[in-house]
Amino acid sequence: MPLAKGNFLVRNRLGLHARAATKLVTLASRFPCEISVSRDGQVANAKSVMGVLLLCGAKGTQLLVEAEGDEAENAIREIGALIDAGFGEGE
Amino acid sequence: MLDSGRGSEGVNEQDNSPQSSKVAPVLLDGIAGSPGLAIGRALVIETRRPGVVHRRVAKHQAEDEVQRYRIAVESAASELQDVASRASGGAVESSILQAYVLMVQDQTLGQDVERRIQLDLVCAEWALDMAVEQMASQLALAPDPYLAERSHDVQFVGDRILAVLSGRKTRVSLPESDELWVIVAHDLSPAETASLSRDRVMALVTEVGTRTSHTAIVARALEIPAVVGTAGILQHVANNDLVVVDGLRGRVVLSPTGDLIDRAKLRAERYSALTRELRELRDRPATTRCGTHIHLRANIELPAEADVALAHGAEGIGLYRTEFLYVDRSEPPSEEEQYVTYRHVLEAVAPLPVTLRTFDIGGDKIVPSLHVPQGANPALGLRAVRLGLARPELFLTQLRALVRASAHGRLQIMIPMISSVAEFRATLRLLAQAVDEIDARNLSRAAFIPCGCMVEVPSAAIMANELALEAAFLSIGTNDLVQYSLAVDRSRPELVGLGSSFDPAVLRLIRRTVRAGERHHRPVLVCGAMASDPLTVLLLLGLGIRELSMEGSAIPELKEAISRISIWEAEQLADDALACSTAEEVERMVTESYAPYFADLLDGEPAFEAGLPRSSGRSLDPS
Repeated sequence: MPLAKGNFLVRNRLGLHARAATKLVTLASRFPCEISVSRDGQVANAKSVMGVLLLCGAKGTQLLVEAEGDEAENAIREIGALIDAGFGEGE
Repeated sequence: MLDSGRGSEGVNEQDNSPQSSKVAPVLLDGIAGSPGLAIGRALVIETRRPGVVHRRVAKHQAEDEVQRYRIAVESAASELQDVASRASGGAVESSILQAYVLMVQDQTLGQDVERRIQLDLVCAEWALDMAVEQMASQLALAPDPYLAERSHDVQFVGDRILAVLSGRKTRVSLPESDELWVIVAHDLSPAETASLSRDRVMALVTEVGTRTSHTAIVARALEIPAVVGTAGILQHVANNDLVVVDGLRGRVVLSPTGDLIDRAKLRAERYSALTRELRELRDRPATTRCGTHIHLRANIELPAEADVALAHGAEGIGLYRTEFLYVDRSEPPSEEEQYVTYRHVLEAVAPLPVTLRTFDIGGDKIVPSLHVPQGANPALGLRAVRLGLARPELFLTQLRALVRASAHGRLQIMIPMISSVAEFRATLRLLAQAVDEIDARNLSRAAFIPCGCMVEVPSAAIMANELALEAAFLSIGTNDLVQYSLAVDRSRPELVGLGSSFDPAVLRLIRRTVRAGERHHRPVLVCGAMASDPLTVLLLLGLGIRELSMEGSAIPELKEAISRISIWEAEQLADDALACSTAEEVERMVTESYAPYFADLLDGEPAFEAGLPRSSGRSLDPS
């Protein structure tokens, strides 16, 4: 099983709030692999909005994204790009 | 059906106005969500679940409960999907609804609920209630207040599923009568607010929320007063109670005395007289006392705002922001989608002009953040036109859409964040390429599309003379100009007070830009906070500005302010200001000499509840 992971920093001011979490989950759901997001050891399914929300990822939080299965590397790259881009939000 | 107590013994037959009852008035502090003042009867909307069924189930029934839960989730999701697709109110609102659709169907929530049903042997409602409570309280503990507020989202989603499980209706239904109501609720969801209309509702009061919550946004759009974040309101108000809603100061008075009602009515009348008066100015051109015409245009973002701007008497759109098209999505908007959106605005505003700003997004990929994330500085990074030039395909897509839209009205294009003549030339080359491409496709366009340059970076103000030679117009964005010329990040609380638009350095840059425009016969427009405050507008007129763009709702007030002054006075004031050494000196001088002229516009009216001690939801002693 292909494995991939990456560390990313939450940059947008509002953090991982509902809309940002929705984007992350929508993106993650496009990939066939298992994807998890964790913060300080708290792990959430990247395809669950509530799980991602519960990470309480405020601005400045370090997130570890791990994927296992087909397209794991693509998943990490795209999710990483989304987080790095501040979820496409103003301020 | 009937509640005990209230309404028995024919109490309803009596005059139930609070003057006759012996209830003391209660003053509750909230947050001013939407301006205006209303006096009317309360209609309390139960948006919180009335109480959750707590029923134990036998082991063999657990599977049925799980099924019941899954069906409820599906129908809650399709209800929300339905509302989301009907909500025409703009990208932001419907994307919140989209988030709710996903949250309702969420795996983490679903697994937790099903586990509780099967292990704890409780009914679906009870299991859901526990799961939601746990998630919401976990979120509420988040150190970031914005994230903590997301616990409401989880509650809301839980409530939707509960409503389906218990067969409750989720739309706000108003009693059959012609009366206007003051809607009081714990919180109103986007779906609920969307179902309210202005001919049935005179004001909104919610227990939670902030100025930016959707209740406040919708109320401002409907132009009805709203007070949000009114802690404790539901404990004090019952249906049919008389309430005074002061959306100007963010206060609610329950059980007002006769005297208080009179004062509130007087204030409401004065407020509506003032707004009516200002509205009547709508069709009057903005002219100074000495007869100089000033062009007042509006800043808009969503296409729907164009109508509001025109209704407030805007002479066209001076700043049409296009970032909204790019946020909240994974793919940038297509040429076709942009064309349709721009065309709609141009047609709505024609024959008046629309000045459209090409995307001002930045940072790494999308939308600017003036906040400095660790290690980076997006305000000084790949932003706005720099991003456009670095990713010409992205930029060309927008420019082609603009060229096509130009056939449907009076379009002007302005380029944000220009910091050198070379950047502006490169942009003009891309625009020429877009024109060629549209011509090659045999599509119609305006013969000439004026392209202007924004002056927001000090280097652009310094090179204004050279830029004016090549640009059709100059547009000064004062917020960024202040930030860049004084090196002050406006979002940093510790720097508050440093970034003043009264700073003589800023005034001199504006002066320099105006002179360049005059020399080459190019219009110079100001958009930004300076354009909407009567005192700074006075300075701008004195510096030679004749064209301003601001929030549409500020236009009537500014027309009135402008009509009270003459250019001669403004020029005198600007000369004195330019001779000052500090922002404080300028501000003091301007305020001391002119604030009295505009006192009624700047604030004015004393509070109607003056003398009534403030209380946080506590009953006041009747005096």
